[in-house]
Amino acid sequence: MKVKIIYPKWKKLPGQTTFNLPPHGPVVFAASLPDYVDVSFTDENVEDLNFDDECDVVCISMMLTTQVKRGWAIADEYRQRGKTLMFGGISTMLHAEETLQHADSIFLGESEGRMENVFNDLKNNKLKKVYNFMGNQPSIDLVGPARRDLYKRELYNHKGVQMVDLFHASRGCRFSCYPCAVSYLGGRNFRPRPIEKVVEELATIDNNRLFIVDNSLAQNSEWEIELFKAMIPFKKKFISHTIEDDPKVLDLAAQAGAWYVYQAVYDTSDYIRERVKRYHDYGIGVEGTILFGLDNQTEDDILRLIDFLLSIDLDLAEFTILAPFPHTKAYDDLMRQGRIFDHDWDHYNAGQVVYQPKHMSPERLQELYEYAWKAFYKEETQEEKMFKLFTKVMLREMNDGTFRPRNRALANKSFGKDVVRNINK
Amino acid sequence: MKVDDKYLDEIFDFAGQWDMPSKCGLKIIAADSKNIIIVTELYQNNPGTSVTYAGGSLIKQICDSKKLDISNVIYLECNPNTFSKLSFYDEEFFQVDFELENGLPIKLKYRQLSQEEVKNLLS
Repeated sequence: MKVKIIYPKWKKLPGQTTFNLPPHGPVVFAASLPDYVDVSFTDENVEDLNFDDECDVVCISMMLTTQVKRGWAIADEYRQRGKTLMFGGISTMLHAEETLQHADSIFLGESEGRMENVFNDLKNNKLKKVYNFMGNQPSIDLVGPARRDLYKRELYNHKGVQMVDLFHASRGCRFSCYPCAVSYLGGRNFRPRPIEKVVEELATIDNNRLFIVDNSLAQNSEWEIELFKAMIPFKKKFISHTIEDDPKVLDLAAQAGAWYVYQAVYDTSDYIRERVKRYHDYGIGVEGTILFGLDNQTEDDILRLIDFLLSIDLDLAEFTILAPFPHTKAYDDLMRQGRIFDHDWDHYNAGQVVYQPKHMSPERLQELYEYAWKAFYKEETQEEKMFKLFTKVMLREMNDGTFRPRNRALANKSFGKDVVRNINK
Repeated sequence: MKVDDKYLDEIFDFAGQWDMPSKCGLKIIAADSKNIIIVTELYQNNPGTSVTYAGGSLIKQICDSKKLDISNVIYLECNPNTFSKLSFYDEEFFQVDFELENGLPIKLKYRQLSQEEVKNLLS
């Protein structure tokens, strides 16, 4: 049986550097398929979709809300051509009722240990409209190595530099943050993978640079320490979300190859300033993630926050506007108050105001967001700051003997497309 | 996250979105004309769907379970005080008005209540 997994494209935010990373969800899903299934994978962000490719089943994997409308359009086209169409992934779960209208079947939940039955149903013409495993997660022990062999590697390469590989060491989150739907998607339990499973998967990844996509590693100190100890021999370098603010953990994280972390900067406190400094003390870079538009932010608060960011030596900053995704408290609050005015899911890209902010007009919030990007990158562009971080990781790799020179054969390609160089003759 | 239990007599188990096992706080005040139902969001102690997202389905489940006349209730959603420093976790009350279609609440309309209105309703 031939199965084609598709990852729909979405419109990137204007004015920002775009790097296409190899998506994680589709290859994790692919690993859960029965052995007899012949799988192919198309990431529409880096290659065109060919609707005439031979296949029996199309599985559309969607992570972002900004993918859903495109995913539905792709599904409609395939169904017109008589193909069986299934949906899964995070934004399928967040937008399940709407997605159902474009699907022969939707899968809600985590797929490990479940796909054998689904495909048996399919073979017996008994495919169910909904496979509902919400709130019923499989054992974390069942999560095996992702099917990274499905990637067309040359498409995740910028001028000869291979992009990081995404990897996960845990699922779920014990926190339930205001703008986040993870607690709805993955249960409110932090579910760390057994260390031996993490090691097994790390050994399969032919890439020295990783992005550990776990929501937060700072959820179970004992496991986090064991994780970093186990990672040290691999000599990989990694990006991750928050690491626990503890000298022992930070030291081990640095030894394990922590390259830089995403750290939420939500106020102008000394705590944040010191937190950033402590990461730097261990040689770990920091990309601040800054969310605008919460009800407790006035214009002055946002302007003060931008000034603060310029004073705390962040390596990078990423600004976002609150997007009230379904199944978040933010959505509930704004919906009850009748403040959501834009229901076009393409606009839920965290760079566009879709609701009435409490202390300013939507237009003013949009202006402040754009001002923040400009102000932070005024002295040094995003590309220049990224290059600095990149240089740091290269030096570390040269020191420990893991540096791989870039692939000269792809020096004139960027994510599969020819690089256009502006050279004055 | 600790949740103020001042408007909560029991924990009510309900089927959330896609039948996810879900929980909310529940208090029912018998009044002369209409029963007042107060549902309280439990945040991290609710493993499933929020009371707001469950909406009309939750109203029906409570009325069925407690044998209340769904056409004759005042339904309040309470976002309880969580003792958080973040203002969006402060206590808030919403009165939810709705129409009935085949016994199921539809077209839910939310109106935030002032402290005074809450006090008057519950006194």
